[in-house]
Amino acid sequence: MTKKMKSSRRDFLQHSLLGSAGLGLGIASTSEVQAAPAPNSAEPEITQSVDVLVVGGGTAGTIAAIQAGRAGASVLLVERNSQLGGTMTTGGVAYPGLFDAWGRQVIAGIGWELVKESVELDGGTLPDFSKVPQRHYQNQVFTNQFLHAILAEEKCGKAGVQIAYYEFPQAVTKTTDGWQVDCVGFGTRRRVNCKQIIDCTGGAEVVGLLDLPRLREEERQPGSFLFMMDKAHEPGRNQIHRLYVHGADSTNSRTVTTANLTGRQSILTMLREKKGRLMHLQPETSFRESYRIQGETLITVNDYSSGKKFDDAVCHAFYPVDLHTKNGVKPQPLKPGIVPTVPLRALIPKGSRNLIVAGRCVSSDRLANSGLRVQASCMAMGQAAGAAAALAAKSGTTPLEVPLKEIHDLLRTHGAIIPGDA
Amino acid sequence: MPNKTKPGLGTLRRRSISLLTALAFLVLAVTGVLAFIQPFSIGIIGLHALMGFVFIALVGLHVINNSRPLTSYLRSKSLWATLAITSSLTLLFWWQPAPVKTVLGWSGNLGPAMERFEMRDDEMVFDYAPSPDYKMRLTVKTGPAHATGPPPHVAIWLENQGGYHIKTLLPPTAAPELPYWSFKHAGWEKAKREAAELGEVDAISSPTPNGSFDPADYILPGDPKDSTPYQLLLEINQPGDKQPSLVFSVEIDNSLPRTFQLLELRGYPRREDRDGKEAWALYYVDESFSTALELIDSALLTIERAK
Repeated sequence: MTKKMKSSRRDFLQHSLLGSAGLGLGIASTSEVQAAPAPNSAEPEITQSVDVLVVGGGTAGTIAAIQAGRAGASVLLVERNSQLGGTMTTGGVAYPGLFDAWGRQVIAGIGWELVKESVELDGGTLPDFSKVPQRHYQNQVFTNQFLHAILAEEKCGKAGVQIAYYEFPQAVTKTTDGWQVDCVGFGTRRRVNCKQIIDCTGGAEVVGLLDLPRLREEERQPGSFLFMMDKAHEPGRNQIHRLYVHGADSTNSRTVTTANLTGRQSILTMLREKKGRLMHLQPETSFRESYRIQGETLITVNDYSSGKKFDDAVCHAFYPVDLHTKNGVKPQPLKPGIVPTVPLRALIPKGSRNLIVAGRCVSSDRLANSGLRVQASCMAMGQAAGAAAALAAKSGTTPLEVPLKEIHDLLRTHGAIIPGDA
Repeated sequence: MPNKTKPGLGTLRRRSISLLTALAFLVLAVTGVLAFIQPFSIGIIGLHALMGFVFIALVGLHVINNSRPLTSYLRSKSLWATLAITSSLTLLFWWQPAPVKTVLGWSGNLGPAMERFEMRDDEMVFDYAPSPDYKMRLTVKTGPAHATGPPPHVAIWLENQGGYHIKTLLPPTAAPELPYWSFKHAGWEKAKREAAELGEVDAISSPTPNGSFDPADYILPGDPKDSTPYQLLLEINQPGDKQPSLVFSVEIDNSLPRTFQLLELRGYPRREDRDGKEAWALYYVDESFSTALELIDSALLTIERAK
């Protein structure tokens, strides 16, 4: 009897689905997969040892983890959200730039490999770098945010990177050969013993946990909440609607919550006023600014605008000085031929060992940071940090003491462009 | 009754004509000097021109009144000398050799056209003064590949931030030689035509500058704080060098005023299809360029703004 009832219910459901499809409601067929059992999934407490712990799986952290993994390090990537890609995927700013400057590619490597593969798989178009862009943003690469997240996971997997979503460090303790990091996720307490930490949290959260000095402005640049009203969102093909969230601050879960509530409520108000239809909404605000580290070197806006070639440069960056304010933004393009560089020392928190950062928290003044914070540059910094951390873990030293040539050679092996290379 | 007419002073008509002629000349002289010294003013120029017509009529009457002595002048020996002097001065001022140009250069009046272009062996100078308070001068020093016979084709124009043509300052003598300018200019003409057909009055002069067809919205905004940067572009092509034209540009931002700015090489135009339509885009120059890169040594934009 019970069996019959179950059968009937299934039949009813199947018929309903078929009927709906027949009516043209467009319900897709359902595929099934079996998730692999997570090791020790019943245990709330886990302890593990890795060479490199990457905190934050955004544009910089994902690339840092892949680079470290490909260099032979055991890597754990901890991400507080549900997917990799950060502002490109969760934030929806899926048009990374800039990989080129003045007619040549200046940023390549693993970040470009990921972006290129994503565009090609999506049937998209890559920009022609020999063409002079009318405005700087024309050479941003339109990518499919969903595909990007999946490909990033695949590349992490192939590089041997273990991903831990919904987790974040709560405490970091120095040990004789590195760090002990206690992370927390729902139903999970993870103790990680690692030799190196790469802080790719955007706001240098690990650096903050260690009470190392950080820089922060009284007023942050506005964040952007991305959505689509009235028109269908075509990932990888068009930019979507944006709403400035003034005061958006990614410092902690409370400020992020406030920014998200404010952004979503404003979109709701807009929909009511314009009687529009909401077609797409990103799950989180895209933040431009919070904390920056005080590094062994600070990149000033003069260094940036003059294209200073640092002795310990590990990658390029390229974007106008682009400070968003309450009144909008007036980008200051770089002069022809200028390509800024990022020194290794700007990724090292002052006075620290076995710790390196990558991404928008790079040691820089505010104006320089407004150009450095963009995604292609963050990817390049991530790869450099991943290489330095992996080499440091391998040789039992700290990233700053790894011979620069070794870092450069490893980066070149993985397709990166080093400042000074032809 | 004794005759009260005073001898020697002529009739009332003669006296009035002579005095009017003299006074009209005085007005012409003063307005003529002012027109030379001061920036262009339609008030001064209008007064000078209209009073000139009155003066012509008065001189006609004056000639009639004094036909006898004037006829005798025509028979005098000095006629040919005065004709020669007048003709020489007319030719001199018409041809404007360097010393005359120098004198004219002292003038504050750039004329109602507001623009002036000179091509010399070693430089090209273009002046554009949309207002007495805003004078632009583009000085292009020629490079070793610059030739004068025939001289290069040159176009100078302004674009807004969106890359749309807003005003041609110097049209080329042969448009096909400068395809990038031709493409931009044609796009602007088309957009203006379409806006006029749609009756979009606002599109002719818009409070949002990047949607405006009025150059004044970019060059001389009511409030510099509201201004948006605009670009000055120069396209140049040397006939016979078998290389594409080159485009140079500079961004002008009235909210960050700078007196001197150098134009930078942007690229060369290349034809491409955009949705089946002809379009021209700029590409970075590569090693295939040789003499074209030596057409210009430098291009300096100077903007004098009233303080």
